[in-house]
Amino acid sequence: MSEPAAPPEPRASQPDSTRTGPGRLLVAIYALFALSASARAGVQIATKFGHAPVAYLLSAFAGLVYILATVTLAAGSPAARRIAVVSCSVELAGVLAVGTWSLADPATFPDATVWSGYGSGYGFVPLVLPVFGLLWLRRTRRARTLRMTAASAEDAGEAADGGAGHGRDGGPGHSAEDVVADGRA
Amino acid sequence: MSSVNGAVPTTIIIAGLALAGYALVMTARNRRMSVPLLAAVGVLEILLLVQVGLIVARLAGGERPAGLATLIGYLIAMPFIPVAAAFWGLAERSRWGPAVIAVAGLVAAVLMVRLHQIWPVIHV
Repeated sequence: MSEPAAPPEPRASQPDSTRTGPGRLLVAIYALFALSASARAGVQIATKFGHAPVAYLLSAFAGLVYILATVTLAAGSPAARRIAVVSCSVELAGVLAVGTWSLADPATFPDATVWSGYGSGYGFVPLVLPVFGLLWLRRTRRARTLRMTAASAEDAGEAADGGAGHGRDGGPGHSAEDVVADGRA
Repeated sequence: MSSVNGAVPTTIIIAGLALAGYALVMTARNRRMSVPLLAAVGVLEILLLVQVGLIVARLAGGERPAGLATLIGYLIAMPFIPVAAAFWGLAERSRWGPAVIAVAGLVAAVLMVRLHQIWPVIHV
């Protein structure tokens, strides 16, 4: 199933897909939050809804947004990209709003949500994730536009660099900055 | 007894962090998924299954945590983390495959801490 020594595939991973490259990592983290937020909300609503209804409903909402973002980022079609932009934006607005709300009015949140304290219970990943999501969507859109331009101008020989970060720095040894997207161990 | 009990979660934390570190080095060096990395994921998977077995044994012995539903959720989800990461990482033909594995290693370590919070008899 795995042949790590396979020859490099120059253009097999389309740079305009939101699923490949750094997007692979992004979708993985989104999937993780989709699972944890929705499962947690499900348990809380099923077992002790009266204890903190606002917090639990917000958790459920966050879970839905994460599921939507995961699926659409993994799909990567033009329609999916539009939904992904909306879900990442809603997510960013949600984490900012709920984060502020939870600090201003702790009584409403006797139990935490994913977005409480701007996601402090989750290493602030919920705050950073939508930002990376939106940046990634923007960058892949640019690559996509470039590629389509290059394809339409058939003989524009040098335009094929599609904007993908990998593939250009061929061998091991290079690579520096873009590694530590999640470097908080 | 408690030290024996704590040996597996502690091992998982160390193994998870080591796997994450190794995978991140692979990402930094622009390497793809490799057989050694997959083998390490397999080791983590086995450790997690052992941990699930130990907890199920305690539950079968009649002990119950306060957050039983949450604990069961963790028991179900835990074994899928390395498997899902391996498949998702293998689908990637770049350095970002190992990066996915790094996430799985970190998550495994965090899960052990969360397990202890859910049910303090699970020592770390």
